[in-house]
Amino acid sequence: MTDKILYDLKNVEKSFVKGKERITVFDQLNMSIKEGDFLAIMGPSGSGKTTLLNMLGGVDQPTGGEVWFDDSRVDTLSEGELAKWRANNIGFIFQFYNLMPMLNAARNVELPLLLTNLSKKQRKQSVETALELVGLADRAKHMPNEMSGGQQQRVAIARAIVSDPKLMLCDEPTGDLDRNTADEILEMLQLLNQKFGKTIVMVTHDPQAAKYAKRTLHLDKGEFVEGDLAA
Amino acid sequence: MSKMLSQIWAVVVMNIRSLPQRIWMSLAAVFAISVVVAVLLSFLSMVKGFQHTLEGTGSEEVAIVTRSGSRSELNSSLSRDEVNIVSTAPGIAKDESDNPIYSPELYVVVDGIKRSSQTEVNLPMRGISLAGFALRDRVEITAGRMFIPGNNEIVVGEGVLREFDGFELGKKIKFGKTNWEVVGTFSTGGSAFESELWADARTVQTQFQRGSSFQTIRLRLSNPGDVAGIKKLIDDDPRLILDVETEADYFAEQGAALEGTIGFGWIISIVMSLGALAGALNTMYTSVSTRASEIATLRAIGFSNLSAFIGTLVESIVLSVLGGIVGALVSFAFMDGLSASTLGASFTQIVFTFDLTPELFQSGIALALIIGVVGGFFPAWQAARLPVIVAFRRGN
Amino acid sequence: MSDLYLIFKNLTRKPLRLFLTVFATFIAFLIYGSITAFQVALDSGVELSADDRLVTVNKINFTQPLPISYVNKVKAIEGIEGVVHMNWFGGYYQDPRQQVLTFAVDQDSLLDVYDEILLSEEERTNWEQNRQAVIVGQSIAQIHGWKVGDRIPLNSNIFSQQDGSSTWEFDVVGVYKGAEAQTDTNSVYIHYKYFNETQSFGGDYIGWMGIRTQDPALNEQVIKAIDEMFVNTTFETETVPEKAFNKAFIEQAGNIGLILGSIVAAAFFIILVIVGNSMVLSVRERTNEIGVMKTLGFQSSRIFRMVLGESLLVAFIGGGLGITLSYGVVFLFNNAPIQLPVLVINSEILLRALAYIAGLGLITGIIPAVSALRLNIITALSRG
Repeated sequence: MTDKILYDLKNVEKSFVKGKERITVFDQLNMSIKEGDFLAIMGPSGSGKTTLLNMLGGVDQPTGGEVWFDDSRVDTLSEGELAKWRANNIGFIFQFYNLMPMLNAARNVELPLLLTNLSKKQRKQSVETALELVGLADRAKHMPNEMSGGQQQRVAIARAIVSDPKLMLCDEPTGDLDRNTADEILEMLQLLNQKFGKTIVMVTHDPQAAKYAKRTLHLDKGEFVEGDLAA
Repeated sequence: MSKMLSQIWAVVVMNIRSLPQRIWMSLAAVFAISVVVAVLLSFLSMVKGFQHTLEGTGSEEVAIVTRSGSRSELNSSLSRDEVNIVSTAPGIAKDESDNPIYSPELYVVVDGIKRSSQTEVNLPMRGISLAGFALRDRVEITAGRMFIPGNNEIVVGEGVLREFDGFELGKKIKFGKTNWEVVGTFSTGGSAFESELWADARTVQTQFQRGSSFQTIRLRLSNPGDVAGIKKLIDDDPRLILDVETEADYFAEQGAALEGTIGFGWIISIVMSLGALAGALNTMYTSVSTRASEIATLRAIGFSNLSAFIGTLVESIVLSVLGGIVGALVSFAFMDGLSASTLGASFTQIVFTFDLTPELFQSGIALALIIGVVGGFFPAWQAARLPVIVAFRRGN
Repeated sequence: MSDLYLIFKNLTRKPLRLFLTVFATFIAFLIYGSITAFQVALDSGVELSADDRLVTVNKINFTQPLPISYVNKVKAIEGIEGVVHMNWFGGYYQDPRQQVLTFAVDQDSLLDVYDEILLSEEERTNWEQNRQAVIVGQSIAQIHGWKVGDRIPLNSNIFSQQDGSSTWEFDVVGVYKGAEAQTDTNSVYIHYKYFNETQSFGGDYIGWMGIRTQDPALNEQVIKAIDEMFVNTTFETETVPEKAFNKAFIEQAGNIGLILGSIVAAAFFIILVIVGNSMVLSVRERTNEIGVMKTLGFQSSRIFRMVLGESLLVAFIGGGLGITLSYGVVFLFNNAPIQLPVLVINSEILLRALAYIAGLGLITGIIPAVSALRLNIITALSRG
């Protein structure tokens, strides 16, 4: 973890209207993430952790406050600009992998590279590197339905890192896996963080998983309770 | 057995009840089939209407004599002498004064304006005598009066009034240099004669420079259908190069020309049906895959393969028959009774109406049914063989 | 891997569904290609009419005769290039049901007025000099197997020879081709003189005159001059441009254009509904994946284009196959022993077909493409 602040949320508010009520998820939320951090966010359902992750990923926008990423504001970007920003900066990992069922592992990993200007040869190289990193080079041509859950998640990780993003966002990455496989995945995330310096934010309800992170924040009803708020 | 039936019934009801969930796909199949059926029935009703007109036109009790090989009244030509000789043939019915009942007639073509296209078309004008009236069943003057022999007067068939301009009662018409007046309207119960203009034979001869020749002779037969006597007379006399047949046969032949159109209509409908079939199959396969876990669950509970099969098949049939009914009704609403006219064998217009009979309705539903069965069979098969494990699989 | 690859992969997810939608499109365009070829063939009778030709018929109806003396009178009118008189023979070959379109004409002027009838120099000379000559069109010659040098019998169902028979014999001196692919070659021509001198009715009558003017601009005045010359005679005339005459003739059969057009429209409607529905469904099944793509950073507009690409691809493959097969259908009909106008799929039909294919692809794809465009990521992912 360096001292550079990668992500800074200032007085962020998120609310939406449901029927006649206005429901507030966050009010005056403040949070910073330093480069190289491995942050776990835990909380009961309804605490807003998924909404928080969506906002960090640029998939959802706050209704108030400021969001700063790498010294530039993110909350004022248009949808098109956000898409570009996500392609350049974020890697996602989902609970249910979300691989494209009709593409093999290599092509799934290649997908984010279609958003770059890399040549075919360069893309191929990056994909190979990523798959090797997650230990699935020999399964490059396999389809998702030919792989176990753990293997699919590893392909998803390869996809998330292939364009070398600054930040990785994980939504319950081990939620669908057994204990052993879950540990494998978490170890891989740790590796990415410690050896390659990737900043990782992981939402989880599993305390065992949170242990792999450097620090944990607990979210309850839109507020952080206990743990570090700023590092 | 009844347990099997109640199983099947339960599945069928569930399938039908769940249709609203797949409303758009289901409607797509219904729509496609209804269009195909509508096209088929439109064609068939057109042909049927045309055939009816022709069939109603020919009588078994009347023989028609034309020049050999002419094949239509227009092309034929008979001299006064030939008419006289033929009228003496055996087999011809006689009136109270013991005279043979016959009518020598002329058939010329004049121009009329078709209402729908406002273009000039060929209209038949028949030179006929009062005797000719007696030789047509169900002829009656429905407005005005009969023409007076020797005058330039015509009576027009009701079909002419429907489809062509300028032949209303009292109208004065010019054909070439001659002037005529419409003095009456006649009907013959919907036969092809209603597409004609009738005038006095002698007047027509004079005005059209025909001298004393005619084009056909119609004779009443003493025995319906029996033209043998007349035929023998013609064969035995080397001066007579003529054909004789019953009027019914003559018009039936004219209708045979429609075979081509019927063939065309069926070919088009079948080709389009293949397209609709693709749609039906698509709908049903989607139906099965959308409800895969439902179907597998039922099987896990204990419902038989057969019930899954029949349930799906019935769903397909219900949709297609619905499509067939809609198509038939649309076709009926727009086409049945529609008056039209087209070129007949003599190059003249024949007015007819589209006729959607219950028989045709059945053909339409039958086609829809076939599409429904074929379109439902394979998906039903798939539903029957769905592995039960699918019930336990999350998602799709 | 490229966007096209992704489009292809998405289409082939459910191969059966792809096959059915392509097949339905194929059927629709097979119908379109074949029927439009037929329609164009019918219209070509009108389209190919020469601008500088007129037809003069008896005013009462074209089945009524005109005196032959009219021909020389008309020839003398200013603005006229050539006149050919013609009679309908009512011909058939061997069987009264095997009609042959036969015209008894003035042999010297036929080819000058109707210059789309093409013969070699030698054939033309023989035609003009042999009283019993007949020139037959390529199409009808093929049907009956007639060749130059044959002596063929033709019967008339209207006229008979003075000896009572209705059979005339002719020498086939030429098989003519049409100047255009769609020029009618189903007709045969014989000498009027031979016909008139041998037929039993007597009287020097003709059926109608085909007239060529020196310039289409002179049509109006020539028409007027001819008809006024014979007004108030026993045989009044009506002269019209050839195009108008042919058009009216075809319309006697009824509004065939409307019928054929309705069939094609019906076929298009069917596939529109089937394919459109399929596309909507297939995109809906992929809501989750579209959400993931957007999360990865794919622009909504790019996804919009990919969905449209899918529907366009289906349209082009199915439509392409359908049009290709209609060439086959047209070929079959052209070589069948039936007297039909020559069917041709010309560039006009092809271009229109391409336009319809593109249109169909767009219409069937627009709704699912727009819904993919507008799909909100959060909603998309939560549905999965």
